[in-house]
Amino acid sequence: MDPLILFFALVNGLLVGGIYGGIALGLSLIFGVLRVINFAHGSFLMLAMYGAYLLWSVFGIHPYVAPVIIVPALFALGYAVQAWIIAPLFRRERAMVVEPISALLVTTGVYLVVDNLVLMAFGPDVRAVSVDIAQESFFLLGLPVNVARLIGCVAAVLLAWGLALWLRRSDLGRSIRATAQNRDAATLSGVNVPFIYNITFALGCAVLGVFGSLLVAFLPVTPTTGLSFGIKSFLVVVLGGIGSIPGSIVGGLLLGVFESVASQFVTATSAAMFSFGLFIAVLLFKPSGLLGARVAKR
Amino acid sequence: MQSPRQSRLGAAILLAVAVLAVLLPWIVQDSYFIHTVIMVLYFAYMATAWNFVCGYVGQLSLGHSVFSGVAGYVTVLLFIQTGLSPWLGMLAGGAVAALLAVAIGFPTFRLKGPYFTLTTIAFAEILRIWFENTDTFLGIPLKGAEGLVVPLIGDSWAAFQFNGKTAYYYIVLAMLALAMAATAWMERSRLGYYLKAIRGDSDAAESLGVSPTRYSLIALCISAFMTGIGGAFFAQFFRYINPERNMGIDLSIDMAVMAIVGGQGTVFGPALGALLLHPVAEVMRSWFGGGVLGLHLVVYGVVLILAVTYLPKGIIDPLSRLIGRGRKRKEQP
Repeated sequence: MDPLILFFALVNGLLVGGIYGGIALGLSLIFGVLRVINFAHGSFLMLAMYGAYLLWSVFGIHPYVAPVIIVPALFALGYAVQAWIIAPLFRRERAMVVEPISALLVTTGVYLVVDNLVLMAFGPDVRAVSVDIAQESFFLLGLPVNVARLIGCVAAVLLAWGLALWLRRSDLGRSIRATAQNRDAATLSGVNVPFIYNITFALGCAVLGVFGSLLVAFLPVTPTTGLSFGIKSFLVVVLGGIGSIPGSIVGGLLLGVFESVASQFVTATSAAMFSFGLFIAVLLFKPSGLLGARVAKR
Repeated sequence: MQSPRQSRLGAAILLAVAVLAVLLPWIVQDSYFIHTVIMVLYFAYMATAWNFVCGYVGQLSLGHSVFSGVAGYVTVLLFIQTGLSPWLGMLAGGAVAALLAVAIGFPTFRLKGPYFTLTTIAFAEILRIWFENTDTFLGIPLKGAEGLVVPLIGDSWAAFQFNGKTAYYYIVLAMLALAMAATAWMERSRLGYYLKAIRGDSDAAESLGVSPTRYSLIALCISAFMTGIGGAFFAQFFRYINPERNMGIDLSIDMAVMAIVGGQGTVFGPALGALLLHPVAEVMRSWFGGGVLGLHLVVYGVVLILAVTYLPKGIIDPLSRLIGRGRKRKEQP
């Protein structure tokens, strides 16, 4: 294997991996606070991509401006899904034993509804935005670096950093962390837990609004885009340790590099098999994630 | 306890449904209708097979399609390569699926809740991707995503090929009856009680000497075997198998959704779920044609959300209480 090609794969893997990490942020945050695995995570990303695509094709809005509209829209959607669809489960839970499976099933229902509504509206065709930035590259140490991917990766790191800071410093962030640590104690301290749940879920979806817009600049979208990104997000979150913000980025980078390097040896579709294998291995042998220790300290 | 009158009502309904099912091909002879009923029965069978382990152990598998796919491929390949009758081939396929279930289940059953679910998806996706990207394996043509066509032999019992659909109808009806009988037997057997103990509290069950992994595995093997037979039937019925339809996550989700909506952990629930949901798919298809893709899945999604939220025990629960067979549930506070 040519070391230059391998190095190129490494750089490209890091860039794509950073974006994976950014996409998984919301999933990790939602699981950390609500203990809900949102099976519809990828579907919301796909919705954001279609939203940005529509803004570009109908109004000519550049995908990099689209977050101004897409992020609030996804925030509202996430809030509504949590408040109307998932919250009833929590209300029932008070009387019954906690069933994380029910939440998974309900979000599976949301996934079915969202993915297939989009399929009905847009058909199975591939939609792509054509903006110049998708083709732009510059050379770093003799290697081409795609600008759109670099922007996505940098945005992921910045967002993760900002989110972690906000969770640590702001009052709302403190309430969110308190709820994650101990729901009952948070309630006793005057935290409105159902509201915090809604806000957290909405935030987790709003982050997808950013990446949906950034992704659509260089990646075509189909109704099935969501599921594959959703499953990758589960991989990332498990790799990095569920509920950990930095873990999400590190897990994303790991997955990106793993996929990118593996696809130098086998076809890209077969590389996905190895990612699933990695996922199973981590769950079986180190279920707290590769950064598990850090999660425990949190 | 239920009164004898209520129990007789339940038995009478069951008998009436059974008689109707046996006579149906004589009552309605429309080929399209029989085809639809065969698909309803196929899904009822698959949901019942899924329920055999997932409904009783209380773990959600979204990877069951892998058993259907692997067994289907074994059946079809044995037929194409060696001419072995699919009747024997599907048993072989089921056995391979059961072996695969041990390989998958042994490590996976240690995981709980969503972790278990995601791992089952991962295993199924690995195999599906492998089948989709493998043209030949050890010299055996698998033809990747294109899939395999079962060669046409003509009306032959040995080749599992029949003119008309009536024979397929009775085969899948018998399969469903057997699967429900197996479930009913399991419910009353030691295995059934162990599984319910594991669902109730896995640690407590283990402390009483019931090994959760062991008994979950036994149930998974039986479930995988049944799912495999279903996959083989599907391949024979359409004389075609490909990784996406026979192994994809959509099939796994269909099985789980039907069982859960109908009522998991019951004998009749999964079949009821299929009976209610699959016709929705057919009606949507005939009303709107192929133009509106995915509409029936939107309905499935909405029904799943409503069922999990408002009827966590499935539609069978209020129905069975109505007939008075709900006494078991009422005894548990």
